[in-house]
Amino acid sequence: MIARRALLATAAAAGALPRFAIAQADQRPSVTIAVQKIANTNTLETLREQSNVGSRTWNSYAETLIDVDWLGDLGLLPSLAESWRRIDARSLELTLRDGVLFHDGRRMTAEDVAFSFGPERMGWEMSTEQARNLFGGVPGQGQGRAAPPEVLAIARRTYPGFEKIEIVDACTVRFVNRTPDATLEGRLTRNTGMILSQAAFGNAATWLDHARKPVGTGPYRVAEFRPDQSLTLEAFDDYWGGRPPLRRIRFIEVPEVASRINALLSGEVDFACDMPPDQVSTVERSARHQVVGGHIMNHRLTVFDKNHPQLANPLIRRAFTHAIDRQAIVDALWGGRTRVPKGLQFDFYGAMLQQDWEAPRFDLAEARRLLREAGYRGAPIPYRLLNNYYTNQTPTAQILVEGWRAAGLNVQIEMRENFPQVLSRDGQRGVRDWSNSAAYNDPVASLSAQHGPDGQQWQINEWRNEEFGSLSRLLESSVDLEERRRAFRRMLEIAEREDPAYTVLHQTVNLTAKRRDLRWAPGQSFSMDFRARNWGGAA
Amino acid sequence: MFRFFGFRALRAAITIVMVVTFAFVVLRLSGDPALLIMSVDAPPEAVAAFRTSWGLDEPLWVQYVRYFAAIFEGDLGRSMRDGRPALDLVVERIPATLALTIPALFIKLGLGIPAGITAALHRNSLLDRTVMALAVAGFTVPSFVLGLLLVLLFAVQLGWLPSGGQESWRHAILPVVTLGIGGAAVLARFTRSAMLEVLGQPYIRTASAKGVPWRQVVRGHALPNAAIPTVTIIGFMVGSLIAGAVVVESVFSWPGVGRLLVVAVANRDLAVVQCILLLVAATMVTANMIVDLLYGLLDPRLRNAPRGAGG
Repeated sequence: MIARRALLATAAAAGALPRFAIAQADQRPSVTIAVQKIANTNTLETLREQSNVGSRTWNSYAETLIDVDWLGDLGLLPSLAESWRRIDARSLELTLRDGVLFHDGRRMTAEDVAFSFGPERMGWEMSTEQARNLFGGVPGQGQGRAAPPEVLAIARRTYPGFEKIEIVDACTVRFVNRTPDATLEGRLTRNTGMILSQAAFGNAATWLDHARKPVGTGPYRVAEFRPDQSLTLEAFDDYWGGRPPLRRIRFIEVPEVASRINALLSGEVDFACDMPPDQVSTVERSARHQVVGGHIMNHRLTVFDKNHPQLANPLIRRAFTHAIDRQAIVDALWGGRTRVPKGLQFDFYGAMLQQDWEAPRFDLAEARRLLREAGYRGAPIPYRLLNNYYTNQTPTAQILVEGWRAAGLNVQIEMRENFPQVLSRDGQRGVRDWSNSAAYNDPVASLSAQHGPDGQQWQINEWRNEEFGSLSRLLESSVDLEERRRAFRRMLEIAEREDPAYTVLHQTVNLTAKRRDLRWAPGQSFSMDFRARNWGGAA
Repeated sequence: MFRFFGFRALRAAITIVMVVTFAFVVLRLSGDPALLIMSVDAPPEAVAAFRTSWGLDEPLWVQYVRYFAAIFEGDLGRSMRDGRPALDLVVERIPATLALTIPALFIKLGLGIPAGITAALHRNSLLDRTVMALAVAGFTVPSFVLGLLLVLLFAVQLGWLPSGGQESWRHAILPVVTLGIGGAAVLARFTRSAMLEVLGQPYIRTASAKGVPWRQVVRGHALPNAAIPTVTIIGFMVGSLIAGAVVVESVFSWPGVGRLLVVAVANRDLAVVQCILLLVAATMVTANMIVDLLYGLLDPRLRNAPRGAGG
C-alpha cells in the first residue's frame, strides 16, 4: 500500500521531471559581456551600423560568403561560399555551401544571396527624392520595408562597381562588377555583405523590424535586442558549423569603464570590453581575471589640413612627422602591447605589402632643419582634440605636442566635444586625430578609401593631391599586380613623405577583460568569435 | 484664483519655449547629428544622405519653425537613431527612472528632515556636529563617487548586491541609496537652518514663557514655520523626479530617462533631447506651482497678501 505522503511526493516529482530533463539537455554555459555600446544606430543591419562597436556582434548572428581568419593569419576563409574562382577581372564565381539553414529554419539558396546584394536590401534603385521621404521623413506613417537612404550610400561605397549577382545554378552564383576589380574577394568579406533570409525580410512589417532582428545563418540567433540596453543571442543548434558551444550570449551596455570592471570583478559579467591599458593592472590584481587582446587592423593617425596657411607648406608637415617619438607612445601609454606600423598598411595585404616601408623616423634635428628651410617663425597651428574618444587620446596628444614643441612647432590644443566640431570649417583647422581601418586585405580598403577622391579627407577638402587621386583610381581598377604595387608605393610616398596627408602613430589595440578560466581568444579585429573553434580549447 | 493660475501658466509656457529654443540652438550649433549617429568613419555619401533624409541640410531657422509647428500639432518628432516617435521612447523609460527617484525621494524625506530637526533641536551638541558632518560629507561627495564606493563595498567586496543593470528589485538598491543619501544631506542642512532661524523667533520664546510644553512648541509653532524653505527644496526634488538621476543611471547602467538623455545629447538626437527637456520643464513648472500653492496653505500671510504687496 502506498502512503498518501509518498504518493504526493511521487506526483510532485513527476511534475518536476520534464523541466529537469529539459535543463539536463542543455548543459552549455551562457556568458554575459559588458560593452560600452552595442550599436550606434540602434540597429543590427550592417548596411546601416558601420561602427566599431557594431562589428563586435554581427558575426555571431550572420555570415558573409567569404570570411577572414581573424584568429590566425588573416587569410581568406571559406564561409557560406565553400570555394570561389575568378572568371575574369570583373566576375567572381562562388560555390555555395550546401545544407546551410537560416534561423527561421529555411534553407539558404542562391536567391537569398542575390537578395542580400539586391535592390530590396541595398536600395540600388532608390532615388534622391525617395530618400528625403523615407524612414524618418514622414512622422507617424509606416515606411514599409524601404531602407533608409544611408543604406544605399554605404552599399555604393562598399561595392562601387556592383552590377549584379548572377544565379548560375542552385549552388553557384557569380558576383559581376561593371569594372575590373582586384579586390572583389576582399570586398565580399565586408560585413555589409552578410547573407540574410529573403523570406524573413519579406515577413518583417517594417525595415526597422528587419534591422532589429536580422535573420542570418550565424551560430547564434537574435533573441532580443533592447536598444541602448542589451542584445541577447541564443544558440542556433542547426548551425552548419556544428552546435554552438554557448547556450546564450548576452551583451549589456555599461557605459562607464569603472562600472564594467566592477561588474566583472563581482562576477556579474564574464567579459568586459574596451579596457584602457591603465586598467589592466586593476583587473589582473584579481587572480580570477585577465586582460587579453592586442593590435587589430586599425592604425591611429595624426591628420593634416593643408589649407592651413602654415601647413600648406609640405616641409612643415614633414617636420611634424619627424618630431613624433612613436615608440615612446607605444611603450609609455600602451605598455609595449602594440607596435609602430610600416605606414598605413597592414600585414594581411599579402603581395601588396611594401615590406621595406617605414614610418618617418623620430629625428628632431631633421624636423628643425625642415622648419628652417620652410621659414617657419612659430605661427600657431591648432590641434582640435577630443577627450579620449580614442583610448589614450589625450595623453598621446600631450606627448605629441611636447615633441612638436621640442622641434620648434607652436601647436595649440583646442578641446572639442565631438567629431563634427573637429571637422567644422568654422575657424581654422590644423591637425587632428583619426584612425583608419582596413576592412579587407588590400590598400584600397584603407589608403584609397580614406584618403583618395572618395575618402573623408578629400571630401571635406582637408587634403587633396591630383597625382594621388589618379593613382587611387588606378589602384581600384587595375588587376595587374606589379602595376598596383607601383601605384601603392607611389601613393605612400606622396601621402606620407612628399605631401603628407597624415602620419601613422601606432597600430590600435583592443583589450578585453575576462574570466581567466574561460578558454576564448580575441581576434585581430573588434569582432568576437564564439564559435566552437574559439571556445574551450587550450589556454 | 483664476488670475493666480493664469499668470503662472503663462510664465510656465514662456519658460518652456525658452528652454526648447535654447536647446535647439545649442544642440544644432554644437554638432552634426548625421556624423555623430553614422560615425566619423561612415562614407561621406551616407552622412550626406542621412542629413538630407532628416532635413538637416535646410537652414536652421527652417528646421526651427518646422519643429515648433509640429509641436503645436502634438508631434514631438522622431528619434534620428531609429525613427521611432521621441515621445514613445521617453515615456517607456519613465517608469525605470521613477523606480529609482520615488524611493530615493522617500529616503531623502525620511532621513533628511528628521536629521535636520534633530540637529537643530540639539544645536552645538555632539549629535548636531555628527549629523552635520555626515550631511556635509553626503552633500559634497559627488554621486558618481559615492555610487562607485557603494559598488566596491557591496558588490565587489561583499558580493551582496549587483553592481548595475535593471533585472530585479535588488538592482535598484544601490542607485536608490546613492540618490537618497545626497538628497537627504541637502534636506538635513536646509531643515536645520530653517529650524534654527525659527527657534530664535520671539513667538517661540513667548510660547515657551507661557508654559506651552516644548514638544508642542516645536510641533505647533516651529515646524510649520520652518517648513516653508524646506518645501521649496522638496518642490525642486519632486520637479527633478523624471531626469534627476542622469549620473546615477550612467554609473549603474540603469536604462532610465537620464541615460536616454545622455545618449541622445551625445548623438544630437534632437527630437529625443527636446522631448525630455519639455517633460522636465513641464514637471518642474508644475512642481513650482504646487509649491506656490503650499506656501499659501502653510503661511496665511502669503495667502491673504494683496497682489503687488511683494513676496
